[in-house]
Amino acid sequence: MNDANNKWIGKRTIRPDGADKVTGQATFGADTTMPGMIWGKVLRSPHAHANIRSIDTSKAESLPGVKAVITSADVTNYSPEKSVILGIQDMRWMTRNVMAREKALFHGHPVAAVAATSQKIADQACKLIEVDYEVLPWVVEIDDAIKSDAPILHEFIEFEGKPSNIAGTLEHKKGDVQTGFEEADVIVERSFTTRPVHQGYIEPHACLVSVSADGRATIWSSSQGQFMVRAMTSMLTDIPQSSIRAIPAEIGGGFGGKTIVYLEPLATILSKKSGRPVKMVMSREEVMRASGPTSGSKSTVKMGIKKDGSIVAAQGTYYLQAGALPGSPIRGAVGCAFAPYDIPNVHALGYDVVSNRSKVAAYRAPGAPIGAFAVECVIDEISEAIGMDPLEVRLKNAAKEGTQAAHGPVYPRIGYYETVEAALSHPHREIPLGKFQGRGVASGFWFNAGGESSSQVNITEDGNVVVTTGHPDIGGSRASIANITAELLGIDYKRVSVLIGDTATIGYSNLTGGSRVLFASGMAVTDSTEKVIVSLKERAAKIWDIDPEAVDWEDGYARPAGANAGMFDPLSLEELAERATETGGPIGAGSQLNTAGAEGGFATHMCDVEVDIDLGIVRIIRYTSFQDVGRAVHPSYVEGQLQGGAAQGIGWALNEEYIYDSEGRVDNPGFLDYRMPVCSDLPMLDTVMIEVPNPKHPQGVRGVGEVPLVPPLAAIRNAIYDALGIRFYGLPMSPPVVLEALEQGEAAE
Amino acid sequence: MYDFKYQLANSQDDAVSAQSSAEDGSFLAGGMTLIPTLKQRLAQPSDLVDLSGISDLIGVSAEGDSVTIGSMTTHAEVASSEIVSSKIPALAALAGNIGDPQVRNRGTIGGSIANNDPAADYPAACVALNATIITNNRKIPADNFFTGLFETALEDGELITAVTFPIPDKAAYAKFPNPASRYAIVGVMVAHTGGETRAAVTGASDSGVFRSSEIENALGDNLDSSAAKAVSISADGLNNDIHASSEYRAHLVSIMASRAATAAG
Repeated sequence: MNDANNKWIGKRTIRPDGADKVTGQATFGADTTMPGMIWGKVLRSPHAHANIRSIDTSKAESLPGVKAVITSADVTNYSPEKSVILGIQDMRWMTRNVMAREKALFHGHPVAAVAATSQKIADQACKLIEVDYEVLPWVVEIDDAIKSDAPILHEFIEFEGKPSNIAGTLEHKKGDVQTGFEEADVIVERSFTTRPVHQGYIEPHACLVSVSADGRATIWSSSQGQFMVRAMTSMLTDIPQSSIRAIPAEIGGGFGGKTIVYLEPLATILSKKSGRPVKMVMSREEVMRASGPTSGSKSTVKMGIKKDGSIVAAQGTYYLQAGALPGSPIRGAVGCAFAPYDIPNVHALGYDVVSNRSKVAAYRAPGAPIGAFAVECVIDEISEAIGMDPLEVRLKNAAKEGTQAAHGPVYPRIGYYETVEAALSHPHREIPLGKFQGRGVASGFWFNAGGESSSQVNITEDGNVVVTTGHPDIGGSRASIANITAELLGIDYKRVSVLIGDTATIGYSNLTGGSRVLFASGMAVTDSTEKVIVSLKERAAKIWDIDPEAVDWEDGYARPAGANAGMFDPLSLEELAERATETGGPIGAGSQLNTAGAEGGFATHMCDVEVDIDLGIVRIIRYTSFQDVGRAVHPSYVEGQLQGGAAQGIGWALNEEYIYDSEGRVDNPGFLDYRMPVCSDLPMLDTVMIEVPNPKHPQGVRGVGEVPLVPPLAAIRNAIYDALGIRFYGLPMSPPVVLEALEQGEAAE
Repeated sequence: MYDFKYQLANSQDDAVSAQSSAEDGSFLAGGMTLIPTLKQRLAQPSDLVDLSGISDLIGVSAEGDSVTIGSMTTHAEVASSEIVSSKIPALAALAGNIGDPQVRNRGTIGGSIANNDPAADYPAACVALNATIITNNRKIPADNFFTGLFETALEDGELITAVTFPIPDKAAYAKFPNPASRYAIVGVMVAHTGGETRAAVTGASDSGVFRSSEIENALGDNLDSSAAKAVSISADGLNNDIHASSEYRAHLVSIMASRAATAAG
């Protein structure tokens, strides 16, 4: 596909979901209602850690208006001894996350749920449920959780032969780090901490579930995957997948946090028990207390460099909070940490640590920002130690085609080097800095994912096009798919309508996650569209009574080619649609693929800060992201991803954090206290899209959505060092923290 | 939210009589604090008497050496008022930085000061500018109006109708907004009016707005910003919460006072 001739790929077409969203007509998770609908509500643990001796629901059940009460006894149980894998989740943990079973493991952990004819009655019913708790000592911080005398969350989890809060490890090795460090001229070893932060999606979790008398469930919910909702609900309710129809709502943000279920299985069981449709909507406080943020972490990274700038050895140890049940993103931390570099000797080790916090959920490149924060900070320090520009050090050590990554793969053509080159030559780098201003850089990597996607492309009777895919559109996939389809068919973009099918109307499609959607659905839609084009050519050939091989498809028309060129008038898509019945019936094609070849994504960020030294406030005054985006099918959306990731990274670096009180409760469970940045806190976030097309994708697509959150933490930290000469080793670098460091610095002088 | 009876008042008298005849009536101004409070079931008034239909509570006027703002005038209206912007630009600027656009277009000056949130902006302006709070039956100097955490001198059923601000020679407000809520972690209004310098601090103390004599003495008649910056404020009695320690707030008081003084020129 010759880019210069593209009519639609690479164009900033109008988003198909835009009008509905700006006029308020889009239907989000909480917007669906049904006749006879009742309200579900979750009773949550008031304790951070407690054995549940018994639950008496009789008083709640006898309250007029209460139609159903459930506990873990109603949810499918999976023994904690044996893993039950679904995608990247383990259902033995998921069943205990949606409803506490043996123990309440964090403040806010669901212990029962009710459905009643009004929200008020549901509230009252929750208060009437009597739970007999045996309150246990609790632990929320990593250092406390891994002490030898720490309260143990799960006796069946053992580490080094005894019960432990370390639930697992992951290790990557390449070469021999000991030998590597011996070759180094300079070795720097530093330890870091990061705090848990929430994805901060604006739309709380919400669903409506109706289970019919014959046991068929229909679920309307906001999620990052209707097929995930179907599968998890099935596994937690014992309703077969064929009897569950999961209908995706528009989604008001997810960032990974909606890749698992919280409410859907509960509402399904409540609906089945009550015989009524049940709606459940989390409050913001419930979202903050009981849905998953990303991990807090502590880490130590050691890197050795030679005077010529070659990094010879790198070692990283990461402890990540999993929350109350195993499954922190250690793979992202240890796998992505050193991935941008061609380092001969690497050792990366991660520990999965449980504690009495809500179970973490995915957050945009899960684990990778934590991995990169430590590494990119240390690279800044080793660069300074040998007197070399940190971008030059990155350029010298950049992973390229053929580099063996520590986490396994040998890279195909990748664009990391290009991101550093672009940063080195960008005008941003030449802008003079004033007093208390500084500039920092950092890079980042994310694996990206392929996997299963389905699509159906149908030609309507009037010659327009309807495309259906199976993943919620969270980052512009509908507009991008319309661009691809219009390009392939050679027709106007406006003639293509892209829909998100539900689990009954489109084939299995994996989550919207892993930056996979446009990569995978682009492949499936391309395949379907190419099949449609073959069919269109066959139909024209039939009408003309020539060989289908002698028909070309060009600019929305079938044209006779070869020996027949010019013998017949071209047939348009409309004309072929009109004559579909006589040429073989409806025109359409589907594809169901397991896609491969989603190669990694890389970015380098450059950030300028200004520090208000009287107050300790760090303001971002300039920010430029350089990212290998493969092919920007819809550039506005790609830029949006780059900007959104940078904005979330700025929040994580400077202000966001979960704060727990002395009782093990989240102390800032709402936006009045949880410090997320807003537009007025940010400068224009500039983006430079570098297109190194992915050779394994028909349009050259690489995932772009997650990489942008990987570099910002270190880029900002390194910029603050440039401004103040102070190196921070923990996040957030909030005003009181920065001020204290400034005062200590003064005192030291 | 619990059930309540809603009444739309057409006049001041109407509002006062509706409130006084209710079992536990509450005036509803912009509702920017009251409605969330009700939603969280932290209050249970029997009646809400909506003041938004009383037109004589809305508007800005200047007379002699003062500016009077009707109690139901929104923050956005104050911020964009030509009178306020020309006579007391510091007050227009303060109003323009309260909360977010939604809050500024609903929230009112009367509602804000009647609520007396310890981190609200307007109380600092009232005290520093030595404003007079006018109610349906008396005039209360700002110095006597703000009596403690969410407490004011208002009697039950007393309705703020307007606030009169003397026009200062110089004034400015500087605030360190909470990164989450945008309320003041510390905000300081400094003003020099008719030979008197005042510095009123919001956000720092649990008992609400207060004047800082140390800051006022340091500022002097010329609003000396570097002298204000050098003042060491005691952390005793200042707020200590998840956003800022009392020591950090104490530090902010002198810095924000100094910045306000600089801005006042």
